[in-house]
Parts: sequence; structure tokens; C-alpha cells
Amino acid sequence: MEARIFEHASAMPAPTWYFLHMNDATIEIPAQLSCEAQAVIETDAPLGDATEFVEAMQAAQAAWDKAYGDRPVLTNAVDEQAEELGGLALSAYQKKADAMEQSKSLAAAFTQGMGEEVSDWIREMAVKTQSVIAPAGSTHTAHVQISGVNMGANMTAIDLVAHEGATLDVAIIVDSPTAGTGVTGSSLRIFAAEGAHVTVRRVQTLDDTWTDLDDMGLFAADNATIEVHQTVLGAGKTYTGLAGDLCGYNSTINVYTHYLGHGEQELDFNYVLRHHGAKSTCNLYANGVLAGSSKKTLRGTIDLIRGGKGAVGHEVDNVLLVDEGVSNKTVPNILCNEDDVMGNHGATIGHIKADQLFYLESRGLSPEQAEQMFVTATLEDAWLNAANDVTKQAVARLGNTLVENFEEVYL
Amino acid sequence: MTESSEKKRTQVDDIDRSMYDFIKDESNQEHLEAGLTPEIVREISEKKNEPDWMLEKRLKALEIYHELPIPDWGPSIAGLDMDHIVTYVKPETDQQASWDDVPEDIKDTFDRLGIPEAERSYLAGVGAQYDSELVYHSMQESASKMGIVYSGIEEALEDPKWEGIIHDHFMKLIPPTDHKFAALHGAVWSGGSFVYVPKGVQLDYPLQSYFRLNARGAGQFEHTLIIVEDDASLHFIEGCSAPKYNVANLHAGAVELFVGERAHLRYSTIENWSKNMYNLNTKRAICKEGGDIEWISGSFGSHVGYLYPMSILNGRDAKSSFTGITFAGAGQNLDTGCKVVLNAPRTKASVETKSISKDGGVSTFRSSVVATKNAEDSAATVSCQSLMLDDRSRSDTIPAMDVKCKNVDIGHEATIGRIGDDKVFYLMSRGLSEEEARTMIVNGFAEPVSKELPLEYAVEMNNLIKLEMEGAIG
Repeated sequence: MEARIFEHASAMPAPTWYFLHMNDATIEIPAQLSCEAQAVIETDAPLGDATEFVEAMQAAQAAWDKAYGDRPVLTNAVDEQAEELGGLALSAYQKKADAMEQSKSLAAAFTQGMGEEVSDWIREMAVKTQSVIAPAGSTHTAHVQISGVNMGANMTAIDLVAHEGATLDVAIIVDSPTAGTGVTGSSLRIFAAEGAHVTVRRVQTLDDTWTDLDDMGLFAADNATIEVHQTVLGAGKTYTGLAGDLCGYNSTINVYTHYLGHGEQELDFNYVLRHHGAKSTCNLYANGVLAGSSKKTLRGTIDLIRGGKGAVGHEVDNVLLVDEGVSNKTVPNILCNEDDVMGNHGATIGHIKADQLFYLESRGLSPEQAEQMFVTATLEDAWLNAANDVTKQAVARLGNTLVENFEEVYL
Repeated sequence: MTESSEKKRTQVDDIDRSMYDFIKDESNQEHLEAGLTPEIVREISEKKNEPDWMLEKRLKALEIYHELPIPDWGPSIAGLDMDHIVTYVKPETDQQASWDDVPEDIKDTFDRLGIPEAERSYLAGVGAQYDSELVYHSMQESASKMGIVYSGIEEALEDPKWEGIIHDHFMKLIPPTDHKFAALHGAVWSGGSFVYVPKGVQLDYPLQSYFRLNARGAGQFEHTLIIVEDDASLHFIEGCSAPKYNVANLHAGAVELFVGERAHLRYSTIENWSKNMYNLNTKRAICKEGGDIEWISGSFGSHVGYLYPMSILNGRDAKSSFTGITFAGAGQNLDTGCKVVLNAPRTKASVETKSISKDGGVSTFRSSVVATKNAEDSAATVSCQSLMLDDRSRSDTIPAMDVKCKNVDIGHEATIGRIGDDKVFYLMSRGLSEEEARTMIVNGFAEPVSKELPLEYAVEMNNLIKLEMEGAIG
């Protein structure tokens, strides 16, 4: 396999100053990796191929056209003087957003978080796409295991399609049980039809010699709920991209991200949630600890699109900085061209407060031990919330490489 | 007094803006050719009888201008054709120290804008620029006796005492390489102010510069350079306006502020350009140990605005605060915010902004807070609130935080929403009309900014809001 460089992966829709180096990520895939497609999927749900997702989207488009097809698409009002100057001077991303609204195409609006180029590459490497299908009203679970293959690019493409009123619970563990180096990746498209509920828990425990790509695209119809829990504990370089369309009335997407940066790790997160549907809700919660000389970038965008009356978007990134030499970049964006909405975001980037440290010291802990507690607590939390034994073992394995006797002392 | 000037501000409708929107004949003014060439740059420099080093700086900046790309991340500036912008328009007068000596039509302009009245009432000094040159400059004798210097930059450049200081500071904070319009400014700057406040001097009354761009299709490129020495204090006010035309005008000024140890500088601005203006202004301050920079900023006019005052906290315990409001109405795309760099231990920054979008206007709050490795025990808070008054408008928030230091606390919060119907209903039940109720709520929303302004400016800002809100209902 030839080396690949993706120069504008995981780009946020509304860019900011280039000097900040935050707008997107550059991903380098080394040469001479073998193409692998070795995910193990265990499920009680029916399996299918990529056409399941495409057909579900077509059905959603038909339903959307019926409900909203005649609704006029408003654009920004322009006064006479602005017309004389060539119209409203929209930026490139604002023009693109307007064009997307005009197209009224759900498929055209649908993207995955890492961008088309990376998504296509992962799917090409994965050779084929597998669909996990939850028929209407059913409840199913699935477990997916992706392991690093030494000198390989182990890619997986999965579609999760939950039909009306179905419940689908999926756990994904990405681990490197044996020593080696390479790239792992997954491309997930998630479709939640009316009243469906999809939960995905992805835990990544790769050693530092690996790079991981986590690419997701979500679609939520009326009254549908999608929950994504992402736990990023390992890998030398991690790229996480998630984009979601809240197209349905009262649809919900909740994303919970827990991360631990240590050593010289680089973590990159890109979230884009678009509110098309009235009364739709999204919550983006990111919590993490950065230790060693790790670097993290988080781009979070909540896009409140005209027509999504009563939509609510909420976004938080809380980062604890443990060591000198860490670097944290956070850019939580809200884009809004609908007035009847509520959007808010918050970010807290800091260290352990003096009074907290004082308390811990009074209990006999040194500042270093106190800070180490936050690292072990992140690992413990991942272990306690693991969806299955395979995931627990993977967390314990990584924990032992990071903290002496982790499994023995803490679990 | 003409009919238009007799109108009350609140009676001016959304398009008329006649309080600020009057045009004076410019046919007798000297215009350089439109466009941007080395010859034009040389001509500007020659007219000002500048030292050679300044001409070299200008020509170098012009080269950089041609090399740098147009920014593609913000509002479109495709409507700005530099080949049709006149970069230098000289008013029919030299700089005067008495209003009586200023030509009648120019004096009338500033009379209407209330500048002489403000000077008499509460200012320690006034500078008034008309198109490319200062036409009036004056400072109270008491301030003069304190050793404060307040003059045009060109005037200061002619004084050997200040030439060296200007040489050492001019475009050092905002180098031409910073962005395309900083380079443009470096090439064709004209007018502006030089302020020097000596060590330990505290000026109790503000100085004010007012910039009026009257000429059609012209650019204004004033440069403001302020040096506040250690333990000194200054409040500087900047006001700007222009009449509207159906062609693009350009404002690409630059403001460089040097704040000494334990010094304090408050820089207040109401930018009220006409709605054909491309306002691509650059402002930057650097603070030494214990220095304190306060920005108060109101952005109202302009077709397109790029405005992000920047604070570089370079000394231990330095502080900055930014309080800003942006009101984007019909046809406007205003991209505003601020930048902060925490580059020394125990520095502190606070940012509080409000933005309002209405009638199709687009408002973007854009910020960056960068904490370098030197910023141990520093802290910054950013709070940004946006109000959408209808669904034909747009409001975006793009705040970036970049932290490279362990012991810092950076907090950020932002909200976007609309005026609650319950609040309007309550006020209407107390006898207000819907328009009055909404205006009152918007004024309340803007109150954290207006309370920081001198009273006269707070009144002006409230009137501007009232003016923008008229016709907002139905």
C-alpha cells in the first residue's frame, strides 16, 4: 500500500484563523502497510450490506419531502444597499450552508466527521460494508472487535440501521493485544428511524505505536435517539470525527467523550451536529485528562439550521492538564440561522485547584500522586463502564502498561 | 441648521441614518488616482515629506500586500475592488489648532457629529481626521503641561525628539506580514494620532480622535500609535463614521498600543461606519509587567467588518479586558471579536461580548485565547452572548482556545437565543408597545457594554440600537 496524506481531514465547517492550526487535521498513513479487514462482529441482529443504509436514507427523504417539501427555504434578507454592493457578503461556509438548505437533499447534507476523502478511503480499505439491522420494534445488540495487525491497515466499515421503534446497542473495542505498529480504523454510518434508539460504545486501548481513525456519520429521524460513548485511552495518534444530522422532529443525539492523553500522544476530535428538525436536541460532553506531553485538539460545531424551531444544542469540554508540556486546543462553535433555538457551549481548561490539592495532600498524597489519581480514575472509569469482558480486558491491559500494577491495585 | 440635522435620532428610519449620513462636496479636494502602485505610494510619502525609512517601509509593505492572499475564512470581500479605491484624498485645509480656522463645510461636519461640544464638555484633547488627513488637533494646556504629547503622526515624525520613538514602534506590533490589509495599511497609511504619556502621569479626562470618511469610493488608513509609560494612565476614545454611497469604501486603519509597567490604558471605540464600508481594521496592544489594557468596542455600521482587537500580555501580572457589542442589521456581515495572548506568569484576561443580528444581518463572534508555555498561573474567561431577532439573520460563534501550559485556568461560555415572548408580553402588559418592549430588552442586553462607555457615548450607542430596532416589528 502506498503512503497517504489527508491534508484537510476532520475539517470544521466554519474555519477560523490559520495561525491557530485548528481548522482541520493532517493524517499521514505510512507506506508499505498491508490492507486488512479483520473486524469480528458478533450480533443477534440480521446482517446486510451497504444498500440497507442507502435505502433507509431514501425512505427518510421521501418522508421528509412529504412533510416539508413545500416549505419555502428562506435565505438571509438583503436590503437595497447591499444589493447595490453585490448582495450580502457571506463567507464561503455560509454560502455552502445556504446552498445545502436550498438543495433539500438529506443525502447531500449527510457527511461523516472525518470528511469524504477519509471516509471513502476507510471504506475502500475495508473492502465491504456490513450492515447490522434492527427491524422495526426489535431489540438487538452487537459486539465488534478490531485489533491492530502488525504492519497493517485494519479498516472496518459498518452501517447500523435501526428501523421504526427498534433498539440497537453496539459495543466496539479497538485494541492491540500483540505488539506491533500500524493503523486501525472504523467507518460507521448510523441510521435511526422514527422512534428508534441506537447506542454505540467505542473504546480504544491501542498501544502508542498505533494510529486510530474513528469516523462516524449519524442520522436521526422523528423522535429517534442516538447515543455515542467514545472512550479514547491509547494510540500514538487518534483521529475521531463524528457528524450527525438531527433531521427528525424531537430527535436527539448525545455524544459522551472520555479521553486520556499520555506520553507523546496526539488526539484529534471533530464533532459536527446539524439541527434540521424542530425540537431536536444534542448534547456534546467531552471530559479528559492530558498528561505527559500529549496534545489534544477538539473542534465541536453545533449548527442550528433555519427551520429547526425549538432546537437545543449543548456542548461542554472539560480538560484537566496534569503535566508540563501538554497542549490543548478547543474550539466549540455554534452556527445559527434560526432564531427560535437555544445554543450554548462551555469549556473549562485547567489544572487541579489549590484547595483540592491541599485536601489531597492532607490525606497523605503528594501533588504527583494526586495528579496520577486522575489518570488512574480515567482508566478505572473505562473499566467499570465497559460493555463486555473483552473491553474490560483491553482496558486492564493498557492500564498495566501505563500504571504499575494497575490491574492488581485499582481493579 | 439643515432639515436633516434637526431630526431626532429616534425618528430616523432604518435606511436613512441621516444623523451620520450627510455628504459634503469633495470636488475641490485633491484625489490621488485609484488603485495601488509604487508610484502612488511614493506620492503619498512625498506629500508628507517623510524620512526615507518610512518610504522604504511603505514600499516593502506594498510588496507584501501583493504577495499575501485574501482571507478566505471570513466574510466575502469580493465586492472590494482595490483598483477602484482611492487611497489618498486630501481635504482643503492643513491641520488647524482652532475650530475657527477649519473650513466651514468640514467644521459643519464635525459640529453635526458633536465633536467640538464634546471637547468643551469632557475631553482633554481632540483630533479630527477628514478623509486622509487631520484637519484639527488640540489639547488642553493642563495636559500639555503634564508632558503628554497628542499630535498627528506626521507632525511627530517631523520632530527629531519623536522620530526615533516612532521608528522603534511604528508597525512593530502589527507587522505588514500579519495579513493582507495590514500590509495595505503599511503601504498607504495617512493621518491618525500619536500619543505619548510620560512615566507616572495620570490623565483624568479622555483624549479623542474622530475619523470621518467623506469621499466616495475612498479608503481611510489612519494609524494610531499610543505609548503609555510605566505607572501612567490614559483613556483614549476613537469615533468613526461616514456617509453612505452605492460603491464600496474601505477603512483599513491600524492601532498600536504600548502599555508600560503598571500602566493603564482604556481604549473605547464606537465604529459607526456607513453600510457600504469594508471595515478591515487592525488593533493590537502589548502590556508589560502589571500593565492593564481595557478595550471597549461597539461595532454598528459597515457592509463587511473584520475587527479583532488583540492583547498581548507580555509581562507578569499584566491584565486585559475586552467588552464589546456588535449589531448586524440588513445587508451587514460583521465578523468581530478579539484575540488574547497570555505570555507571562499570572496574567489575566476577561472577554465579555454581546452580538445582535436582525433583518438578515450576519454577526460572527470570533476569538482566540492563547496561553503560551510562559503563562504559569494565568487565567482567562470568555463570555459571549448572541441574540437573534428573526429567522432571516445569522449568528455564529467561533471561539478558539490554545493552551500550552499546565497551571492555567481558561473558562469559556457562550449562548445563542432570541428574546423570550414572555419577557415581551410582560413589558407590553405594563403599557409598552411591542417595539418599545423589544428595544428595552435589547438595550438591557447591551447594558454591560454601554455602562463602560462615557455617558455621551452610552447615549449614542443606545440611540444607535433604537435606530436599528425601528421597523423591527412586523
